[in-house]
Amino acid sequence: MGRSLKKGPFVDAKVMKHLKRRKEQGSKEPITTWARASTVVPDMVGYTFMVHNGRIFHKVYVTEELVGHKLGEFAPTRTYRGHSQKK
Amino acid sequence: MPRIVGVDIPAQKKIGIALTSVYGIGYTTARRILAEVGISTDVRAKDLTDDDVSRIANTIEKNHVVEGQLRRQVQQNLARLREIACYRGLRHRRGLPVRGQKTRANARTRKGPRKTVAGKKSVKGQH
Repeated sequence: MGRSLKKGPFVDAKVMKHLKRRKEQGSKEPITTWARASTVVPDMVGYTFMVHNGRIFHKVYVTEELVGHKLGEFAPTRTYRGHSQKK
Repeated sequence: MPRIVGVDIPAQKKIGIALTSVYGIGYTTARRILAEVGISTDVRAKDLTDDDVSRIANTIEKNHVVEGQLRRQVQQNLARLREIACYRGLRHRRGLPVRGQKTRANARTRKGPRKTVAGKKSVKGQH
């Protein structure tokens, strides 16, 4: 089930605040965030985010294609190294 | 045997069903198309006049993405997800279920035939 259109996309307020500041300063410094549930909006294109995965921050460079996805989709939370190869 | 949109050749079946042999047209879409051109779903495909066939073909071409084009579209969507390294893309890459299903048991459609691991305890005792 999709989100109600009336509400518009969920974008973390703090992320937007930092984004705005970066834009004013013309800075491209990565924005560190825990807001995995935040939607990627067109304004974010060209900026880098450090998205928390519970342990570390994954660097996510936002391109046009990522718009509409959530930040968390690009920072996997699970480690799976494959099953052990016996012998 | 009438041909509709390229290679597809439905058979002795009622046109409502015969149309579903086109990739991208299911039962509902078939019905919708026939309603639009005003042909009964119960006519056998072989009994259609050439005019009927071309009218059906025209509506499909105009309003629906089918066959090769649809296949390409699906592939492109998958490729895009893979490309951007989002969670869904990663799951597609690994051939695991994409929509949050469990993988401890089942998930055989995505994972393919079982790869038995020697020495592993039987499934019932496994926890």
